[in-house]
Amino acid sequence: MLNDDELLRYSRHLLLEDVGETGQQALKNAKVLIIGMGGLGAPASLYLAAAGIGHIVLNDFDHIEVSNLQRQIAYQSSDIGESKVEVTKRKLQQINPEIKVRSINKEMHEMQLTMELTMADLVLDCTDNMASRQLINKACVNAKVPLIVGAAIRFEGQLMFFDHSEVNSPCYHCLFPSSEEQALNCSNSGIIGPVVGTIGTLQALEAIKYFVGLPSGIKNKLKLFDGKSLDWQTFTVNKDPKCKVCGQH
Amino acid sequence: MKIQINEQVVELAENTNIEQLLAHLNKPLMGSAVAVNQDIISRSHWADTILNEGDNISLFQVIAGG
Repeated sequence: MLNDDELLRYSRHLLLEDVGETGQQALKNAKVLIIGMGGLGAPASLYLAAAGIGHIVLNDFDHIEVSNLQRQIAYQSSDIGESKVEVTKRKLQQINPEIKVRSINKEMHEMQLTMELTMADLVLDCTDNMASRQLINKACVNAKVPLIVGAAIRFEGQLMFFDHSEVNSPCYHCLFPSSEEQALNCSNSGIIGPVVGTIGTLQALEAIKYFVGLPSGIKNKLKLFDGKSLDWQTFTVNKDPKCKVCGQH
Repeated sequence: MKIQINEQVVELAENTNIEQLLAHLNKPLMGSAVAVNQDIISRSHWADTILNEGDNISLFQVIAGG
């Protein structure tokens, strides 16, 4: 049941036929693990907290640097040197005191990640490197937890959703099969803030849709965003039967 | 035969597979993703996916930033 404060707070959701009180209650019951509190995790976590996701777990091991502030909009200059998850947690609680936020201020290895996944309904991969992305994918496949992946560099964004609770779901590894990939990241390639912000925002949108029961436009798809033309391309990701993570191997 | 790669028309030999295409274009295998007519082709199928006249190929790089 939503209390009076919540009915007021979420009144614009309650007006939506696709959300309503049932949907809002589903958001309140939801547990989301957000890994990476940079340019993707900042907008994703702010929107999910505002939307009333009842349990949010934030994970990052980084401290805020001045070069983060050009795009990581959860932070301000006075936060420099502080832990990203602690500052974000404080911010989320200020936005929405109705929700629970927990922070994990270290790099999670496989065992801890697996343990965290037993308490998560959905994971947002907001990280900035290939090794973390492969580790998160593998753990989500094994734990059968749905995963929304965002990535961005320069003027380009990539967005995908794999529902690992479904048998025969493809995975990130079917698409990019190596942790040795010479993947581009923000520190070697540069990034425009609103591009990474767009992708992080859409990760939040897809998470909200997932919990209120709306079909995802990106399930088993890879969406490419071109921040110059504002064009989107959509590709189908097929399960690789030989995939070392989700296949029969 | 003619195919399109990232919206550019390219002339290719018949029976070219994706691995040969990437070699022909001087693109690294690692870090690349390839879609044929909007379907991503897993890397384990690059050698046995033969391209056909009129195919629409999208070639892009994996990005990890965030």
